[in-house]
Formats: sequence, C-alpha cells, structure tokens
Amino acid sequence: MTELLVGTKKGLMVLRGSAGRPLAIAGRAFAGEAVEFAMRDPRSGRYFAAVTHGQFGPHLFYADDPTKEWKQAEGPAFPPAANAAVERIWVVEPGIGDGILWCGVAPAALFRSTDGGKSWRLVEGLWNLPERATWEPGAGGLCLHSICPWPGEAKRLAVGISSAGVWLSEDAGESWRRSVGGLVPRYLPEEARKDTHAYCVHNMHRAPRQPRTLYMQFHGGVYRSDNGGDSWNDIGSDRGLPSDFGFPLVIDPHDPDRAYIIPLKADADRVTPDGCVRVYETGDRGNTWVARADGLPRSQAYLTVLRQAFCSDGGKPLGLYFGATSGEVFGSVDGGRTWSTVAARLPPVASVRCGVS
Amino acid sequence: MPRIILSGSVREHAGGLGAIEVGGATAAAAIEALQAAYPALRGWVVDERGALRRHVKLFLRGEAIALDAPVAPGDEVHVVAAISGG
Repeated sequence: MTELLVGTKKGLMVLRGSAGRPLAIAGRAFAGEAVEFAMRDPRSGRYFAAVTHGQFGPHLFYADDPTKEWKQAEGPAFPPAANAAVERIWVVEPGIGDGILWCGVAPAALFRSTDGGKSWRLVEGLWNLPERATWEPGAGGLCLHSICPWPGEAKRLAVGISSAGVWLSEDAGESWRRSVGGLVPRYLPEEARKDTHAYCVHNMHRAPRQPRTLYMQFHGGVYRSDNGGDSWNDIGSDRGLPSDFGFPLVIDPHDPDRAYIIPLKADADRVTPDGCVRVYETGDRGNTWVARADGLPRSQAYLTVLRQAFCSDGGKPLGLYFGATSGEVFGSVDGGRTWSTVAARLPPVASVRCGVS
Repeated sequence: MPRIILSGSVREHAGGLGAIEVGGATAAAAIEALQAAYPALRGWVVDERGALRRHVKLFLRGEAIALDAPVAPGDEVHVVAAISGG
C-alpha cells in the first residue's frame, strides 16, 4: 500500500492505493483550511500537519492515523522575549536521536522538539544571531524551509533560509555560521553581490548515505556541496536544464550521486518551461541532467510545483511523487523513468510527502 | 463575569462551547482567562505576543473593541472571524 500526504489549500488529502496506480482519497482532514506541509516520522509512525487557518493563524497538529483524530501540538510559538509570532509553519524534519524533531517557520526561525513533536521550543542560538537584523524575505516571506540533520551526528545541522542563505551548526543549534561560498545571487547587480546578505535558498537536502553531500535549488542556480555545506559548486549551468530556476528537489536516499529537480521557466514566470512537464534527473552529481517526462503532460501544460510538493518514498526502485497548484499529483515507481497521474482535481497542492509505501 | 461568545470552527478548541464565562476586566484579560481554561485555544484568537489575529475582531454591544477595552460582568464579547478567504 502506498500512502501520500497531500497538503492542499483546502485541507489534507490522504491518498492510498497500490503503487503505480491511481490513488484514492482515503481521508480528508482540516477541511477548508490550508495545509502547507504534512509528513510522517518514520521512526515513531506519527503524522504531522502544518495548518494555517485563514483567520486563526498557523498551528501544528499530530496524529497516529491521519484519517482519524488530530491533536494540536504545543507550539511552535515564540517565547514572549522574542516579540514575534509564527506566520507559517514550513517544514517538520525528524532529527537524530529519540524524540528529536526540528521545525522551520516564518519568520525565519528553528524550533526543536524532544518529545516526539508534542511540544516545541525556539532554538534561541539562531534567533539571537546579530546578523538576523539583516535578513530579508523572499516572495514567500522570510522563511526557514530546509532542515538537514547529519545522520549519525546529532549536533550537526544545516538549515536553508529564504533569503538569508545557508546556516550551519555543529553544537545542536547553540551557535551558527553562514555558509554561502560559491552561491551567486544573479538577481542582484554584480557590484552589490559581494556584501549582500540576500541569498535566496529555495530548497536544500542532504544525501543520507553520504552526509557531506548536499544539493540545493537556489533562486536561479542549482548547486551541490561536497563538504557538508561549507562551499557550493554550480551544477545548473549549461548541463542540459531548460532553466535553473525552481523549488522542488529530491535526492535518492540510496545514491548520493542521484538527484531530481523540477525546473520552472523563470522567477518572473513560475511555470513548467515550454508548456511541458519534465522532471530532471542527474545520476552523476549534477554534471549532466536528463529529462524524465514519459507519462507526464507534454504540451499546453503550464504547471507550478511548489517547494514542498515533491518527494520520494525512499524505496528501491525509487518512488517519486509531485503535485501541482492545478491539483494534479503525478507518480513514478521506477525512479522517474515513467510517470502516471495518481490523483487529479484536488485543490492547489502545497506539499507532498510519502506516508507509508 | 463577562462571557466570551465563540462561533464557527474555533469552538472545537473550547470543547464545542459557544459561550464561556471568564474572568477579567479587559478584553485581553478575558481572552487570557479563556486560553487558561481551554489551552487548545491558545494562539487562535490572539497570537503568542497577545496581539489579536489580523482577521479576527472582538465585538461588545455591537461595536468592535480593542483588546484593552474594559469589560464588565454580564458583558458578552463576541469573537468574530473576518469574512475573508479564497
């Protein structure tokens, strides 16, 4: 059984069925509310949903069965001294160690749970950085959307912030250093790039089998780090991509050389290029990219795929799934070689994660 | 004691109740008392700074009031979600 958690503008859709076939809506939670991220912690089996109520703000919920009762977590919420309020919950990421999870929000901040996600506390080391005063929002707000723990090393962590760059910690969030070497903010005049703080990271993931390897989709640019995020190498220019702008990014958890992106045409035109839906795959660390489009719409298809709307199931062969703001969800059960529509006519899709497979 | 009147889905977080008597001499104090009685409501009507959510209004005797408005025993403070959405 394959289970997808699809966060949409009008609730969480829990899709279930046989891999490679259309999936059915087995449950819908938070009807009418925007579910901007949902995932399952594979260690505990606990599900999480980040829900932003149109009037009553963002809240995090958890459940043991996503089709049944959800409970509200305690937080994430800023302590009084922070004089801030959570605007949106962008991501929940399992950490290293029993009960440890991380949560990224807007305005850009990191929260940590030590009780399996029931309660959350602000990581003050990041929030209190003096440099935070210089951080500026991207179009989606000043958000911490990417959290990359280091398998086997509980204290090492990388986070990606739009548009404040990559920040690394080696002491579980007590102290941080920025790491943007190699990133080129082409959206700024050349003479303004040297001193800028505005590094608009769109997505970042770490290769679990080779933690020093990270991939990043930037605001114009695709990058790979070979040294744990200390520096970044361009893997997007002149390598077969129709555009190096986009948001979605997946790494094959079994192969650190293999990654997938879904380019959009440009920052001013955030749709699939040429009216053609294509996933691009690299099997050589980004030296070359190949279009994977068999089974995807090939013409008159101007889709937008958001940051959190692309995932893998972690299987072998690798299952891949992504959703569009036009309400389709596409899937592949063979590592991207062939695709099919697994759901359609959903509300705009913000997030896709595999629950069980 | 003033009463807080809840409508719509936010009632779910107050045990399904639509009218709840609370203490407090201001609207803010009444909301804080409400949150203390129903912790699941914390963060819904006001954010963690204590600021009223942008698309929520409080009404007393037919008029919108601010959080620092005084409330008296017998007053009914209506928590109203804006007509907004997409």
